[in-house]
Amino acid sequence: MTLPSERRLPWLFLSLLLAVVALAAWQWRDGAPLSANLMELVPGTNPDALELRAEQRMQEPLNREMLVLVGHADRQQALAMARQLGEQWQASGLFETVQWNLQADLPALRTQLLQGRLAMLSADDRQLLSEHPDVFIQQRVQALFDPFNGFTLVPSQDDWLGLTGRIQNSQPKHGAVQLDIGSGALIADADGKSWVMLRARTTGNAFDMNLPLQVADLLQHSREQAAKSNVQLLAASGLLYAANGQQQATREMTWVGGGATVGILLLLLLAFRRWRVLLAFVPVLVGMLFGAVACVVLFGHMHVMTLVLGSSLIGVAVDYPLHYLSKSWSLKPWRSWPALRLTLPGLTLSLITSIIGYLALAWTPFPALTQIAVFSAAGLLGAYLSAVCLLPALLKNVELRPAQWPLRLAERLIHLREALLGCIRTPVLLALLIAFCVGGLMQLQSKNDIRQWVGAPQHLTDEAQTIARITGFQPTSQFFLIRAANQEQLLERQAALSERLQQLVNLDKLQGFLALDQLVSAPSQQQQVRESLSKLPSFWQPLLDLGVPAAALQNELQQLQTLPAEDIDAALAGPLGEPYRTLWLGPTEDGVAAMTSLQGLNNPSLLRVQALDLPGVVLVDRLGDLNKVFAATQISAAELKLASCVLIVLVLILPFGLTGALRIVALPLLAALCSLASLGWLGQPLTLFSLFGLLLVTAISVDYAILMREQVGGAAVSLLGTLLAALTTWLSFGLLAVSSTPAVSNFGLSVSLGLAFSFMLAPWAGRHETVSETAA
Amino acid sequence: MNMLFKSLGALTLLAVSSWAHAFDLQQLSEQLAKPDVIHGQFIQEKHLRALPQPLISKGSFVLAKTHGLLWLLKTPLQQDYRITAKGIARRDNNGWQLLPNKSAGAEQNRLFLAVLQGDSSGLQRDFELALSGTAQQWKLTLTPRSMLLKQVFQQINIDGGALVQTIELLETQGDSTLLRMQDSTAEQPLSEAEQHDFAE
Repeated sequence: MTLPSERRLPWLFLSLLLAVVALAAWQWRDGAPLSANLMELVPGTNPDALELRAEQRMQEPLNREMLVLVGHADRQQALAMARQLGEQWQASGLFETVQWNLQADLPALRTQLLQGRLAMLSADDRQLLSEHPDVFIQQRVQALFDPFNGFTLVPSQDDWLGLTGRIQNSQPKHGAVQLDIGSGALIADADGKSWVMLRARTTGNAFDMNLPLQVADLLQHSREQAAKSNVQLLAASGLLYAANGQQQATREMTWVGGGATVGILLLLLLAFRRWRVLLAFVPVLVGMLFGAVACVVLFGHMHVMTLVLGSSLIGVAVDYPLHYLSKSWSLKPWRSWPALRLTLPGLTLSLITSIIGYLALAWTPFPALTQIAVFSAAGLLGAYLSAVCLLPALLKNVELRPAQWPLRLAERLIHLREALLGCIRTPVLLALLIAFCVGGLMQLQSKNDIRQWVGAPQHLTDEAQTIARITGFQPTSQFFLIRAANQEQLLERQAALSERLQQLVNLDKLQGFLALDQLVSAPSQQQQVRESLSKLPSFWQPLLDLGVPAAALQNELQQLQTLPAEDIDAALAGPLGEPYRTLWLGPTEDGVAAMTSLQGLNNPSLLRVQALDLPGVVLVDRLGDLNKVFAATQISAAELKLASCVLIVLVLILPFGLTGALRIVALPLLAALCSLASLGWLGQPLTLFSLFGLLLVTAISVDYAILMREQVGGAAVSLLGTLLAALTTWLSFGLLAVSSTPAVSNFGLSVSLGLAFSFMLAPWAGRHETVSETAA
Repeated sequence: MNMLFKSLGALTLLAVSSWAHAFDLQQLSEQLAKPDVIHGQFIQEKHLRALPQPLISKGSFVLAKTHGLLWLLKTPLQQDYRITAKGIARRDNNGWQLLPNKSAGAEQNRLFLAVLQGDSSGLQRDFELALSGTAQQWKLTLTPRSMLLKQVFQQINIDGGALVQTIELLETQGDSTLLRMQDSTAEQPLSEAEQHDFAE
């Protein structure tokens, strides 16, 4: 009963499998090609390369740096622990730098201050110098006697006019953090404790697979160690979120994958009562392998979220063997190859429609869904090939005598349905169903937020907020991007923006900001300072009265007049430039660009207004933009869904004719509508992810309609096949609903609902056919 | 120049010391912690390397154990300062104006007051302390330990008897400041005006 081609197929397939395994082994040669970078999953909203570069620059420290506060009521104990942890962390090899105290290079600071006397003077000081030179001198005299002026880095005789002191004092303050002069540590006092700041920068970034977990482990170990001395640690870092995300993904993959596997294997054993039938799982494994390999080939790596969502493929992949295994209820005796021959057209159609459905996801602007689509499409192809080429050979000598109770159950269901249709006719049922849909849809609310992608645990966000409160540092992903033709124009534009932002700070609408113009002024302004200084000799008599030699003052003025204009690069090179360096983007295609970074949770619309009439200034608010993209994508997702349906109808016209094809596609669409309505009735929001879930359901449930339409082996056997397929799929997708990532669980819920409705509606696909068949 | 006051404060209450001196740090801190209020005059000489003459300023001070310090500069210009737990304030026509926190300076003053009020943690860590002499005539030398401080200060010398008499601050770059406290007395309580200044 085996055709010659069927003897060759398994060997052909095995050689393909071997090649894929070899490719996979090569791909995994340097460890798992996995990624956990959340930003890879969300759509790129920026076609603008500069904005993208700016964004990466701002993101980089978030993904590589960890900020830890070491807190104890006694400052010395906090310092001692910070020192101890700093040494341990440095020795751990995980970090490029670990810093708990400033190793200030004072000579370099002095040089920079002296060199920058014209360029680094603040706007207020420049104004004072040009408008009230007498007050300027008077303040200098006062400062020379002031015992509480703080220590100045540059000795008086190098800077009689006190410009460096002014520059030092006008540098932006670092939140509530203060320098402990003895230890060089940065310390904030809050909640009755002294908090020593410890900053660590990792060797890799948050998206290296192992690093975040290692860092999280080290932190946990340090926490325990510190707790023994009653020292409290607070930590914030993108790395910790990444570590948490990875742990969660692993956990969920185990639950979803493991749960689905166990459930499906049990189902197979219960229904078919043969150990060998567990071989039906081979296509699942092959599918996973194909999916993973295809992902790495196309994207270079695979995202952990793809793995979580992709593990639901188990339930779909096992449907292919089920197609012909379920024929054992009607085919007696059941033999693998003939059973396959009978179901091959249906199998192939179902592969094509499912792949169309999955690939529709690939056209959404979400890289995450593109990856899942590729993973699933390749996975389904692999599962199909192994179900068609290999599995029948493995089951060649198996004679299936499945349990009879599932068939009896299916028959009872069919009788039930007939009885129901006897009482209420289909059009009435349809009307009721539509009423249900309308009622549900009216209550449906749409909700889209990037935060649905992140299952950020409360304790991490709480800790980050505590740190923000204690230190006054609250970095935000919003920033301004400033473009200009040259440095002069750039600094002017940035200064204009700073002036407005300062007003917001004064109004408590903004916590703070950092901009290049706070470090260095435009060349034209440096020239103005030079001119103001040249008028100073007529006002400096009070300094001469103190005994400052006139020659020394003249000499200093001479020096200042010949100081060259300082540009941005020179200012950034010195130690005072350090916090500003990320802001400077340097030369671009059409000039230069820089950023102004912001502190605190801010109102984006208020910020956007600030940039309105400032040329070359834009607010970059990635998260805000993303939320807009989410909403816009909902519409395109609906369009994609329709497009995929049209495509499926076209494919199905050939075997079923236009009416048949329309009917087969109409049922999944109706099922999708019912699921939407159910979400409404359940009070669940409609998110982009529920919509994507339904997009997928359309593809999968077309399969059930085809099964019911073809009716190989009778209505009851087909219904049973559909039931098994729906159950296995539901086992894997339904488990996604337990995920703690809102996006994933929303996806699981909508797919589960869709599957339930698809199963209930599927029998209508075959009704006319059954009648005409029995009539003939 | 807050180092001056930091050291001055340190002396009012010096922490533990186990050095076997005839007159040790423990005794010194106890001695200096006794008076509740000290009134006195000061002369500050700022010796700048490039200046043939030192910059001299004079005035009076009030150090109150439970409140803080009033530093009243009289010549060559008049300016009142106050250090309390709240920070440094300067008096202008509208009364006391709290100065904005400058991170390094504010920290020093905070430390100074902490020491002043009996929370004496900081000094032993930041400085090597060496004491010589007797309770009637002693000399204390502070040498900075940390790299950061060494780049600013070379040494601080303090000497006195029952009360502090002079503080000399040698900067690494060659400038120095000499602060002479004269006519210090611990007999007088806070006047009403002074109480008002601390309270405001």
